[in-house]
Formats: sequence, C-alpha cells, structure tokens
Amino acid sequence: MNAVRIAWRITRLNFRAQLEYRSEFLMMIAIGAVWQVSVIVFATVLLTRFTGMGGWDSSDVLLIPATRMLAHGLFVLFLGRVHGLGRHIQEGVIDTYLVRPMPVYRQLQLAYFPTNAIGDLTVAAGLMVGALSRSNLDWTAGRVTYLVVCVLGGMLLEAALFTVVACASLRFPAADYWGRWLEELLGTFGSYPLNVLPRAVGGFLTFGLPLAFVAYFPAAVLTGHGDDTGVPYWLAAASPLLGAAAFLASRLLWRWSLRHYTGVNG
Amino acid sequence: MAAVHAWRAARVTPLGELHTPPRMTAALLRLTVQVVLVASLWNGLYAQTGTTAGLDRDQAVTYAVLAVLASRLRELDQYAGRDTVLQHMHFGTIVYWYLRPLAPQRYYALRALGEQLYGLAWALAGYAVCLAVGVVRPPESAAVAGVFALSMLLGQWVLYYVMLVIDQLCFWTLRNGAAMLILIFAQNLLSGVYAPLWFFPDWFITLSGFLPFQATLSVPLSLYVGRIPLSEAGAQLAVQAAWVVVLALFTRLLWRRAARRVISQGG
Repeated sequence: MNAVRIAWRITRLNFRAQLEYRSEFLMMIAIGAVWQVSVIVFATVLLTRFTGMGGWDSSDVLLIPATRMLAHGLFVLFLGRVHGLGRHIQEGVIDTYLVRPMPVYRQLQLAYFPTNAIGDLTVAAGLMVGALSRSNLDWTAGRVTYLVVCVLGGMLLEAALFTVVACASLRFPAADYWGRWLEELLGTFGSYPLNVLPRAVGGFLTFGLPLAFVAYFPAAVLTGHGDDTGVPYWLAAASPLLGAAAFLASRLLWRWSLRHYTGVNG
Repeated sequence: MAAVHAWRAARVTPLGELHTPPRMTAALLRLTVQVVLVASLWNGLYAQTGTTAGLDRDQAVTYAVLAVLASRLRELDQYAGRDTVLQHMHFGTIVYWYLRPLAPQRYYALRALGEQLYGLAWALAGYAVCLAVGVVRPPESAAVAGVFALSMLLGQWVLYYVMLVIDQLCFWTLRNGAAMLILIFAQNLLSGVYAPLWFFPDWFITLSGFLPFQATLSVPLSLYVGRIPLSEAGAQLAVQAAWVVVLALFTRLLWRRAARRVISQGG
C-alpha cells in the first residue's frame, strides 16, 4: 500500500514536471494522437482500396487496429518507459537506480510521465467506440469481457517484447535501436489480418515476433475467423494468457540481466 | 586544407557506425526484413485486385520497397554520439559550435552530408540486391533513371532543410522531441512511406501538394515507377527546386537569429 502511495506521489510530481515546458507538453499530447491517427489512416486507405482484405469485412478488420492501439496506449501509460532504456544506461542514470530502495523496473517506469499516452489513449478509445458501433456482432457480457482481457493481454505482450529489448540494452546499450524497429513493426503490421501475407511471413509474425497475439488472433476469435488464422483455435483464443506468461518470463529475464549488469565503474 | 576539415567532419557519424558492429548488423537485418515484409504485404494486397489508384502490382511493390530503401538515407543514430542539437542545448555544449574555427551551419551541413552519403551506400547496395532478385523492376528508360536521380537528389536536399528547421527549433524551445516525432510522422505520411500518396483521397493529395514532404520521396518514386510521366517531370522538378530555395533562405535566417540566442558562460 505504501509502495502504491509513493508511486502515485511520484507520478503526480512527474506530471507537474511535464507541465514545465507547456508547448512541449501540448505537442506530446498531439504527437500521441497523430501517431495513432497515422495507423488509422493507413488502415482506412488499405480498407478502401482493397475491400474484403483477407476474407474479412471492413467492420471486422477495424477491430484489429482498435484492439492494438488501445493495448499500445495502456502500455505507453503504465509500462512504456522500458522502451528507451539505452539512454538511461548511456547517461549513467541506471547506476543511481541500483542504489535506491525501490525496484529498478519500478523506478524506470516512474522516471517521467508519458504525456503522449493521453493522445494515444484518446484516439484509441475513439477508434474502439467506432469499431464497436460499426460491428454487426452481438456484444454479450462474455464477448466484452474477453475483449477487455485481450486488450490487457496485448498490453502485457508489448511490455514483454520491450522488456526483452531492455534486457539486451543492459548488455549492449546500442540494442535500443531494436526497440524503435519493434515499435515500427507493431504499428505497421499489427493492424490488419495477417493472412494476406505469405504463410512464412505470417509464421514469422506469429512465432518469431509474436505480434499476431496482440490483436489479430483476439479479433479473429471474436469475429468468427478463429479457424482461419493458421494456428489451432485454442492457441489463438489463449492470446491474453500468452501475453501474461510472456510478461512474467520477461521480468525473470530482467532480474537475471540486472544481476549481470556492469556499469562503467565495474 | 578546408577539404581535409570537411572530410573529417563529414565522416564522424559513419565512422561511429562502422565502429559499432551490433548497430551495423541490426541495420542490415532490419532493412532485409522490412523489404521482405513490405514486398509481401503489397503482393498479398494485390492478389485479388488489378490496377488501383493508377498503380499496378509491380509499380506498387517497387514504390514501397524503394521507400524502405530511401528511408535508410538519413536514419543514423546521432543521439548515441551525443551530437544532436537537442543534446547540445540540454548539456549547454552548443556554445562550442560557436567557438570553433568552423561555422556551426557549415559543420551541421557537413555532418548531414556524411550521413546521407553513408546512407546512400546502404540504399544503393539494397537496390542492387532487390533488382537482382526481381523484387523491384528497373526504370523504363535511361531518361526515367536520369530524371529520378535528379529528383531524388532534390528530395534529399529538401529533407535536409526540413530536418534542419526542426533542429533549429531547439534554439527557441530547448526541446524538440515532440516536434521531431511530429516531423517523422508528417514525413512518413505525406511523403508516401506508409502507403503511396496515390491511394489517398483527392483532398489529401491536394493538401500535401502545399507542403514540402511529398517533394522528398513521393515525387522521385512516382517518377521512377512511371506514375508521373516524363512529360510532367519538369514541373515537378521545378517545385522541388523551389522548395530547396525557400527552405535554404528560411534556414539561413534562422541560423542568424539562433546565433543571437547562444550565451556563453552567462553572457
């Protein structure tokens, strides 16, 4: 309880610190929004020009970017500071984290307030409302619950992927580069049915880089395309569980990596 | 002597890259995977469609792959070398730019030139491989190739000035993180990196015509794939050249104004 209180106080302080540069603060909200709008624009352009993408109705396809963007917005808000750890390492900030009486991972998350998450989440929520209103599905309590769990699972899976990159950064700060690529891949290829891609490429985005589990599989299960995803139905349906398991595994990897971290002073 | 100084300044960032093998490996892997993914995506999308927005499958795939390769031209991590204007403003070291025998605007231009030439080597190597394996198709004629090369040169020139304006913003706002992100977004969207501009609604194409971004990439790539015929190339090249002139004058003014804002040791 004490830890939650401290985290809340630091977050409030961080928020006030962000307000110090007003124009930067407003622009960060804007960038969160426009970044998400770019995903919507891309998806809309593709949906308009290539109707019936992968055998999906456009209303069903919209559920994919909506789920992914909402999961991404929550990730940015709660766990996003893990992205860009290389900078903390290069500036030696991580060494001060190590001597403070708070877990390093938590300190990292409390390093600053992610202003852009406000814009991210606003646009993502708007798109989700739009996707649900255009959907022809019967939104029972069970379906809504599954969607909420999938969004949370997507958030954890994205956090797990970026935590793995952060673990690599502890050893090679230049590994941060991979984080930027990961973000780009998630944004570009996480927003439409992956069955339009060749099987090998789809397989890579499922088992190599598991971005299919963030939104594509959950949306496929919800819209009745769960049997056409190229993986067993139960695996597609278990996407949120996989997200939680991946996050736990990444945290274990983080603890191991941190124990082996060597600062510039040895 | 000046040429030696210029060479030394221009090679800083490329040398930094060459001494960081993990980054080189990552760049190679990233470029390869990105090309494969983008080519697969557009091939997949066109599987059940003929020509759309005036582009057939080969044109769309060529455009998309060339856009990925072109994005390598200025994608170096200056941040790791602590030599961005943002970092110099943050640490107060920007003042050293004004104490050296090399003018800051010249130093900045030389660094950018070195980066773009290094990026060009990557892009050309990638292009040669893609051409050899048939992922992209060659230009239709020598004239198209020549006009494309000229247009690409002007496009990179425009891009250099656009990036410079964002960096110069730091002299007034101290931070340019958000502005830089907005620029990357605008650059990717309005220059046709996400999807060729021809797929967008007419109002969007008209709107982007008033901005410099489409001059950086969309125009040269459209010339290459033949979406803009050679007969219209003159007008497009003139627009690109006009952007170069306008932005050159604007950034020159900003350099002059920025110099007045730099204070050494408290005044």
